[in-house]
Amino acid sequence: MNFHRLLTSAFFVTWLAASLRLSGPVLLAALGETFAECSGVLNVGIEGTILLGALASFLTAYVTGMVWMSLLAAMLTGVVFNLLLAWMYVTVRASQVVVGLVFNVLALGIAATVYRRALGESAGPQSVAMFPALHIPWLSGLPFLGPVLFGQTILFYLTLGLVLLAHVLLFRTRFGLALRAAGENPSAADAAGISVARMRYTGVLIGGATAGMAGAYLVLAQIGLFRESIVSGQGFIALGIVIFGRWSPWKAALAAIVFGACDALQLSLQLTGVNIPPQLLLSLPYIVTILAISGLFGGRAIQPAALMVPYAKD
Amino acid sequence: MKLIERRVTPVDSPFAIACSMAVAVVAAMVVTSLLFVLYGANPLQAYGALFHEPFATWRGFGYTLVRTAPLALIALGTIVSWRSGFGYLGFEGCFVIGAAATSWLALSTAPGAAIGPLPFFAFLLMPLLLSFAAGALWAGVVALMRARFGGNEVLISLMTNYVAILIVQYLVSGPMRAPGGVPETAQLPRATWLPFILHGTRAHAGILLALLATLLVWVSLRKTPLGYELIVSGLNPSAARFGGIDVGGRLVLAAFLAGGLGALAGTVEVLGVQHRLMDGISGGVGFTGIIVALLAKLNPLAVIPAAVLYGGMTVGANAMQRRAGIPSSITFILQSLIVLMVLASDILRRYRVNLAALRPVVKTETR
Amino acid sequence: MPAFAMRKIVKRFPGIVANRDVDLTIEAGEIHALLGENGAGKSTLMQILYGFHSMDSGSILIDGEPVRITSTKDAIALGIGMVHQEFMLVRRFSVVENTVLGLKENAGPMLDLHQASRRLRRLSDQHHLAIDPHAQVQHLPIGVQQRVEILKLLYRDARLLILDEPTAVLTVHEKDQLFSVLRALRDQGRSIVIVTHKLQEVMELADRVTVMRDGRVVGAVSTRETSEQELARLMVGRDVNLRAHRVPIERGRAVLRIDGLHARDEVGQEKVRGISLDVHAGEIVGIAGVDGNGQSQLAEAIMHLLAANQGRVFLNDQEVTRLTVAQHRALGLSYIPADRRHVGSIPEMSIADNAILGSHRERTRGLFLDKRRIREHAERLIARFGVRAASTGAMAGKLSGGNLQKLILGREMMQDAAAIVVEQPTRGLDVGAVESVWLELLRERERGTAILLISAELEELMNLADRIAVMFEGRIVGILNAASVTVEKLGLMISGIALPNATPDQSA
Repeated sequence: MNFHRLLTSAFFVTWLAASLRLSGPVLLAALGETFAECSGVLNVGIEGTILLGALASFLTAYVTGMVWMSLLAAMLTGVVFNLLLAWMYVTVRASQVVVGLVFNVLALGIAATVYRRALGESAGPQSVAMFPALHIPWLSGLPFLGPVLFGQTILFYLTLGLVLLAHVLLFRTRFGLALRAAGENPSAADAAGISVARMRYTGVLIGGATAGMAGAYLVLAQIGLFRESIVSGQGFIALGIVIFGRWSPWKAALAAIVFGACDALQLSLQLTGVNIPPQLLLSLPYIVTILAISGLFGGRAIQPAALMVPYAKD
Repeated sequence: MKLIERRVTPVDSPFAIACSMAVAVVAAMVVTSLLFVLYGANPLQAYGALFHEPFATWRGFGYTLVRTAPLALIALGTIVSWRSGFGYLGFEGCFVIGAAATSWLALSTAPGAAIGPLPFFAFLLMPLLLSFAAGALWAGVVALMRARFGGNEVLISLMTNYVAILIVQYLVSGPMRAPGGVPETAQLPRATWLPFILHGTRAHAGILLALLATLLVWVSLRKTPLGYELIVSGLNPSAARFGGIDVGGRLVLAAFLAGGLGALAGTVEVLGVQHRLMDGISGGVGFTGIIVALLAKLNPLAVIPAAVLYGGMTVGANAMQRRAGIPSSITFILQSLIVLMVLASDILRRYRVNLAALRPVVKTETR
Repeated sequence: MPAFAMRKIVKRFPGIVANRDVDLTIEAGEIHALLGENGAGKSTLMQILYGFHSMDSGSILIDGEPVRITSTKDAIALGIGMVHQEFMLVRRFSVVENTVLGLKENAGPMLDLHQASRRLRRLSDQHHLAIDPHAQVQHLPIGVQQRVEILKLLYRDARLLILDEPTAVLTVHEKDQLFSVLRALRDQGRSIVIVTHKLQEVMELADRVTVMRDGRVVGAVSTRETSEQELARLMVGRDVNLRAHRVPIERGRAVLRIDGLHARDEVGQEKVRGISLDVHAGEIVGIAGVDGNGQSQLAEAIMHLLAANQGRVFLNDQEVTRLTVAQHRALGLSYIPADRRHVGSIPEMSIADNAILGSHRERTRGLFLDKRRIREHAERLIARFGVRAASTGAMAGKLSGGNLQKLILGREMMQDAAAIVVEQPTRGLDVGAVESVWLELLRERERGTAILLISAELEELMNLADRIAVMFEGRIVGILNAASVTVEKLGLMISGIALPNATPDQSA
């Protein structure tokens, strides 16, 4: 089979297109979490925030049918819940891992309870309006690149735009410099007149907004309905992507695509009828994440120096 | 004088701590009752239903003990690892791995299978040992990554949960599946079932294992040189090194013990309740168990009461759903809110309330 | 009218009064030295001026007008800048990024590093402080990092530059360069304060000097009108109202032998530069010197908590250089670290549990810790060493500094060690506690233990030590026998000035 045929084979095209599509939620969550971690906070609760964002977007879409409104609702939800988390992390200075972990259980409880209340106990899964796949004129007609790159939903393109915005914000603005200083050397930031607490709150809230968006992406651009297991560890994988992406937005994007590829492999192989146990493929993203953060490729030495260290001025 | 003033150092008398914990628990219950009201239910009635069945009925109490055993074992695993400075969160994984190992072994004692039938007490030790070893190795790999490569054990162990669950999913859909379409194994031979211990209930011997484990963990941590070294390594690695302790080696050992305990929780569930391996056997107990440990403030002696409380709440949740129409998932909210509020209540100890500031200032005028 | 004045500054921390009614005046176009030993209160005073700490009472005046400084932002806005002992630099950032951190240069949110680097280069050329704006700080040698810190202040056009122990991390050549930069800045009309304990530099660089001791100002003079001897006397004081009875005893053989030891700290700087010393049985050898001249690293290298890159350590003629801490203890070499709360003890554990750290494996009955014997041991300890505690079950963190130190001393001394390395044993303790600790050390000496006593307190060394070696910048500047020790001689040697008849590198 020659190269051209391989590239345009249904398998390959479907796989790559799906890779990009599936990388969206994880990338969105990782972008915001990058801000949080650069400011010095590790937010394990991101998994719960994504779930709550997904729920908010689903309910809004269910009631109003308007996808953009639902996206906004999801972002707002993420910000509100992360405000609580930020308070616990920065002001109360409780253990970040513990708070995040317990919050995930809380989020699961809230999601399950509110969902069943809204839809009634006996109702089955309901589908909602989704973001349609855009077919950019002319470009989406290109062989291979067409369906892969130019047939995605607008939410995907929005995500790519956010990668650029995140990079600029983090590395080319005064705010980004101050934020990163708070996570590298809070005393130095303090000595320079920066409020470390304010930087950390902001970082966590940005994380909340994008995690909410990630939840909306899952519902509105990927699956089309809500279930309690909709997140399935993608929040934790986003944490791994932040590490694998070395706390840089564009590298996180690459890492997210790798993750998406693993995830999509399972879908695409089903097309070809290859006889591999589906669980093996499903576990690939998790195993790859483990390897990525195992420290084989550089461990704690490269993370923000003050990550997870609470800062208390006397 | 200001009404609320910041202290120089937070107060930490046992009384203050108990007070702030009590405030936290009450606050959590108040917030949750708002949710009850949203459902159109009477909070007092709902709480009554929640707590009555598991603690005031004999049969319900039996179920409570059933729920308590795996929670306690996982909480103990959390305590051993966290207090040694190893932030392990992979108990969901250890649970299902232990359950899988146990099921495999038990099925092998079925008539005609590899090992063949064994008398119960001869059999019992085997799944405990095998399961413990499997869980120990499962957690040990993560410890290795931390010790040798500096990997973040918190995230890695979270990931391993999903891998373990998928492994078990594979097993019950493939190699270990019973004939028929359902993804679960055949029922385990009757001879492997844990005996019931309370007449009229389904409470099984697993709770005894949990009690024994609690005792062992408490004694080891408090009264052996090994436990001393684990605790010192967790509290202060510098001082530990200065005192001649091999901090890295102790970390790996803590991982083994924690993983083994988590796996035993799976064993107990399989041999005492489910009697087969299936997908979703854990029901999130790997995380609830951690929450129980947090509520017990990482003290082994407080594990059993905390586990009984949370186990009971899980049992009562179903009753509450039947009687007051409130979904059982509300217990997740209550269980996690309590711990979050307890953590947040710490901030109360940083402030002092000066009631004297409320007294009106008497102005004297002089002419 | 003075450019900067601090009047009647009082600052308290839990358990200590750091500044008592301190007055300080700094003129424009002057280099002013703030001189004193560890704990004199100089750094705290400057932290207050820079807005890092708040004062309890007092006032600050700039050009005669009272000002309020509640945060570093205020101080920076008033033209005050500070270079801390531990540089406030983000190691992963570049020089220019560190410089513009926290500044609002232009209207928009975007960083303009190009313009900033141009301005930085101009300043760097103007003041002869050569740097590369785009270099990452973590790759720069410490001397260059300091230049970055100074440039940060100049970038903000600071009128007052405060430098806290600036030469602690510099080579001689770098120090000379720094001094010429500072003189040039002074000639421009800026005010400079250097906080230091080094007399020679004070005389070399400063126009005026204020001496602090125990939180108070004990003298403010122009350097032309004083001498090193006088400053040394002011700095160290004659408050020797504590006395210990050191019985002259015949010392035994050399128990602890240190031979040409070299060691680097975690950032790679060589802190121990060839130390050779013998400590005999029944002898206390003191190591004098202000913190930061390599003493901690020496102690850690002896115990192999830090790897020595050259040299050897012998205990009773057996080489112990690379043995583990546990092995050191087993052979009879004990260590009492300076940080009693974070390395020497575990505050969250009970007194009894702390009392067995290091010897916990021996105190067992079968598989278990013998709690009864442990409690008895702890009770004996607190009785013998006078530790005031409610019970052996009380949390060690609740003990006062003095009692905690006695606990740690007791733990190590009851191990029956052949040699003990003690570091800053009485730091932060009240008079009564100091006396008890001294008594214990002397008793141990009488029992024939070899003791290496590292201390920044001259009084302590003069009372306890049979011989005093002075460490300065990683080397021994000289060793004096107890008989020939005077405060002035020690003061000079501590500040780096070697004396003609004090012989270094010899166990006289």
